[in-house]
Amino acid sequence: MASLSYRSAIKIAAREMRSSRGKFFFVVLSVAIGVAALTGVRGFSSSFRATLLLRARSIMAADVSARMFEQPTPEQQKGLDAIAAEGVEMTPITELLSMASSPKTLDPLLVSIKAVDPAMYPFYGTVELAPAAALKNVLKPDTVVVADDLLVRLHLKVGDELKIGTRQFRIASVVVNEPDRLSGNFAAGPRVLISREGLDASGLLAPGSHAGQRYLFKLPARRDGSAIPDSAVSAFSERLEKLLPEARVIDYRETNPALTRGLDRATSLLSLMSLVALVLGAIGVGMAMRAHLQQRLDTIAIMKSLGARSGQIMKIYLLQTLLLGLLGGVLGVALGVGVQMAFPHFLAKLLQMQTEVHLQAQTVLIGLGAGVLTTLLFTLPPLLDIRGVRPILILRRAVEENDDPFVTAALRKLRKNLAQIGAALLILAGLAGIAATLSDSATVGKVFSLGLVAVLAVLVASSALVLAGLRRFLERTRLSLPSPMRHGLANLYRPGNPSAALLAALGLGVMQIMAVYFVQQSVVRELHISSAPNLPNVFLIDITPDEINGVRTLIKAQPSVTAPAEMMPVVSSRIIDIDGVPANQARLKNFPKRMLQSVSLTWSADLPPGTSAVAGKWWQKDEKQPVVAVSQRDAERLGVKVGSHITFAAQDQRFTAKVVALTKADGQHAYSRASFILPQTALAGLPVVWYGGVHADPARVGELQRALYRAYPTVTVINVAQALETVRSVVIQITYVIQFLAAFSIFAGILILASSIAGTRYRRIKEVVVLKTLGATRRQIATIFSIEFAVLGLVAGVVGIIFANVIAKVLLHRMDVVFHWQWGWSFVALLATAALTVTTGWVASHRILGQKPLEVLRDE
Amino acid sequence: MIEVEGLRKSIRNGTRTVDILKGLDFEIPKGQFAAIMGASGSGKSTLLGLLAGLDSPSSGEVRLNGIAISYLPEDKLAQVRGKTIGFVFQSYQLIPTLTALENVLLPYELNVDGSDAKAGQSRARELLASVGLGDRFGHYPVQLSGGEQQRVALARAFILRPPIVLADEPTGNLDSTNGAHVLDLLLNLNRTEGTTLVLVTHDAVLAAYADRRITLRDGLIVSDETVPAGGAAELRQGSAVTEAGAE
Repeated sequence: MASLSYRSAIKIAAREMRSSRGKFFFVVLSVAIGVAALTGVRGFSSSFRATLLLRARSIMAADVSARMFEQPTPEQQKGLDAIAAEGVEMTPITELLSMASSPKTLDPLLVSIKAVDPAMYPFYGTVELAPAAALKNVLKPDTVVVADDLLVRLHLKVGDELKIGTRQFRIASVVVNEPDRLSGNFAAGPRVLISREGLDASGLLAPGSHAGQRYLFKLPARRDGSAIPDSAVSAFSERLEKLLPEARVIDYRETNPALTRGLDRATSLLSLMSLVALVLGAIGVGMAMRAHLQQRLDTIAIMKSLGARSGQIMKIYLLQTLLLGLLGGVLGVALGVGVQMAFPHFLAKLLQMQTEVHLQAQTVLIGLGAGVLTTLLFTLPPLLDIRGVRPILILRRAVEENDDPFVTAALRKLRKNLAQIGAALLILAGLAGIAATLSDSATVGKVFSLGLVAVLAVLVASSALVLAGLRRFLERTRLSLPSPMRHGLANLYRPGNPSAALLAALGLGVMQIMAVYFVQQSVVRELHISSAPNLPNVFLIDITPDEINGVRTLIKAQPSVTAPAEMMPVVSSRIIDIDGVPANQARLKNFPKRMLQSVSLTWSADLPPGTSAVAGKWWQKDEKQPVVAVSQRDAERLGVKVGSHITFAAQDQRFTAKVVALTKADGQHAYSRASFILPQTALAGLPVVWYGGVHADPARVGELQRALYRAYPTVTVINVAQALETVRSVVIQITYVIQFLAAFSIFAGILILASSIAGTRYRRIKEVVVLKTLGATRRQIATIFSIEFAVLGLVAGVVGIIFANVIAKVLLHRMDVVFHWQWGWSFVALLATAALTVTTGWVASHRILGQKPLEVLRDE
Repeated sequence: MIEVEGLRKSIRNGTRTVDILKGLDFEIPKGQFAAIMGASGSGKSTLLGLLAGLDSPSSGEVRLNGIAISYLPEDKLAQVRGKTIGFVFQSYQLIPTLTALENVLLPYELNVDGSDAKAGQSRARELLASVGLGDRFGHYPVQLSGGEQQRVALARAFILRPPIVLADEPTGNLDSTNGAHVLDLLLNLNRTEGTTLVLVTHDAVLAAYADRRITLRDGLIVSDETVPAGGAAELRQGSAVTEAGAE
């Protein structure tokens, strides 16, 4: 069988493109804007994430840490050596409590010693010293670096000697901030940083000492400079958990839930934006190609009458689509790369953070590929329509004109044409595939694809209803309506008018744009809460029951304190059995059995601030039964669930508590470190120590420390203000970037929608000519179009906005963010959609309205 | 040879069914020049469409050189159409984005394997030259007059040497001089290529050139006259002389 050569097909395709430059401009523009937004947003967000993740890692000083309670066995050591051989860097940190003294003062002081290898530690971030210096230059085998309050308590200064164990060390500097302060132990006593050689020499590491060992790990950097993916970090964590079953393995994402959540939400939102950009572009292409092929019906019929088979004609238009997709894709990638390069400059002042832009070939190729693929997918239905074009059209147009309304035609097509169903399924599968590839968040991909299908179905149904309603309304009122109104409304359902397709395109567009806006709003609001300026940034340890009221009063009186103190009682206890299984036989997961001998219990009548119940139910205020709420993570490690029973022993008392709730803490409040919370009555009469969390002005924490030390010298004050400020600034930076990128996506979306509307102007040329010939003025014609466009805009707006709210609600629910219906913004968006449609309609028809009828006819 | 048997065509117009052709039976032997006549709405163009396989009948059958085409699948039909029929339309139906030469070449590209592209091109040039457009190969339809466009369409209809040529009011859009010229070329090509020619027209003068005149009214054949041998041929000869004089 003869087949049209590619050369001839490309020739015909290219000639058509050249002859209708104006129309194809909109197709190329749609693809280009979609691909530009995709490449720009994805590229920049990937660079931004890489920079942010680096900062997030600095909060732990590593990618992964493993807290060990015993020395690794020879077999485990072999596994650790194998890991090191793969390029993973590893350094041990030893933490222990000890006494320190100085020749100047006789009283020894309990200090929290941390031994590090200054050549390796920290893998990420820096240890801030006063005066400023690099840790490895200061920390030598015979020196230590200490916290400011040690100097205050022991009346020492930099350069003095400090006795630790059996050795004297010179105080070389003051530690202002350790990057991993938030992930280390909040042990009593001021911090002393010592080298590993120094610790060995001090003789403190005698057999049986209670030193805690932590290994920090750094995964090898990626060659292209992009961030180490979360999946690699998770895989490495799992590998470590298997290798060291008794160790507590955590990765950097677990150190600060606020930051991790911020990053996760930003990732979801950025994925959503990428998808929206792409699908909006595809809608523009679909609309334009549909219009184009409608106008090519004659040519197609001629070719068929000359013996062309549908496949040959489809080849021509498929090549044309490919050419358009490629052209738009290349232009879009170029634009996107430009935008990606420009973003950091726009944001430089706002973020005060250097975002290194890595131009990734993968991002560029994905942008180009996605552009061409979506163009092809969305052009598939009009391309398949070619098969249905009958050559008799050239002889008997009226019969072949498809007079059916869009929906009936679509239903008929679906009934009669399996290929159309196949195409629809292919588009959905293709979209889901693209969504899965592009979206770093599976939830976003799924919700987005389903939302798209649902909204399309509702839009098709509602457009059918609206158009049928209008028809009925016009049949009844016909001549009693003013002429422009009658004409404008009748235009909506006249045969061949793309109003149903335009309605679907507009509705989808509005839905996507508004979904981005609503999700962005809620995420930003939530991020502001989680980075609220009054979260505890100073923690107090070892407050006795005699001191607690005095401490409360003192804190209240401090001008530097900006929020009420959170106080948590702690009762030392041990676990005897779990669900009747003795502690020494319990099956635990990454929870050393030794730790069962020392657990901290606390009480609270209500859910403490920053803690939420993820399973079960919190108790009533007057609960008398021994019940317990266990932190979700510890519940997993201990193998308990709601309904389990745990027997605790404290002093000589023993009691069994039923697990009634599992909790999750935000990591930012005093109660965030509580693993077991009970009602107060369950712990009545047991010895208690209090811990507290206060928010103080970061610049004035010193004042608070001094005041507390003067009144309560045994209370340890841990200042994490500096570290928390880092987290807060990063979270705020995330919100800025989200808002900026959302604005960019929304702007691109509006441009594409406008071009879709403008693309329909070619259909109006004939109508304008006839109206003008009959004496209609430009104002009258503009009024007719305004009515038509306003109705389209309003219907599409209503459906799109309702669905935007629904999608935002589902997505936010999945992202664990509170959703609020935004009536005000929904209404504004509705009016804006109608205004956009009418304005674009006017602008696009402006040239047509100004043309002389004959001029247009000659062009035709 | 064209055979038509019990041919009916109805179309649905909303809830109403309109019968356009109500059962036609006739044969057009190889090499005959038949004119199908009738007033507007009599079913002429519908019949032509069915003869060409551009549309399928509601019932009945059309056979072209023994091949029943009415219910062939679309692609098979396109193949038959491409190889068996040459078409000339009232409004030329050239592809606006292709040059005159490319338009003529198009059926060749669609229906003949590309291995002998040069042969196709030389045939197209030859045909264009024979209709007096040897200097217009590179012109686009928009750069040609109506008469010239129809001449390109004539060349296109004959490029594959089809055994049957169907023409739908080929001079309907042209002034009398150009109309006569186009008709003359059509008849000449028909004669030199030895094709069967079916011409749809409501113009009795034009129909007078045919060997046979089939007249339709309301979807039925009301008369089918065959001109005595020699009569039409003489007219055709005369037309050529007139045409030569007119030019």
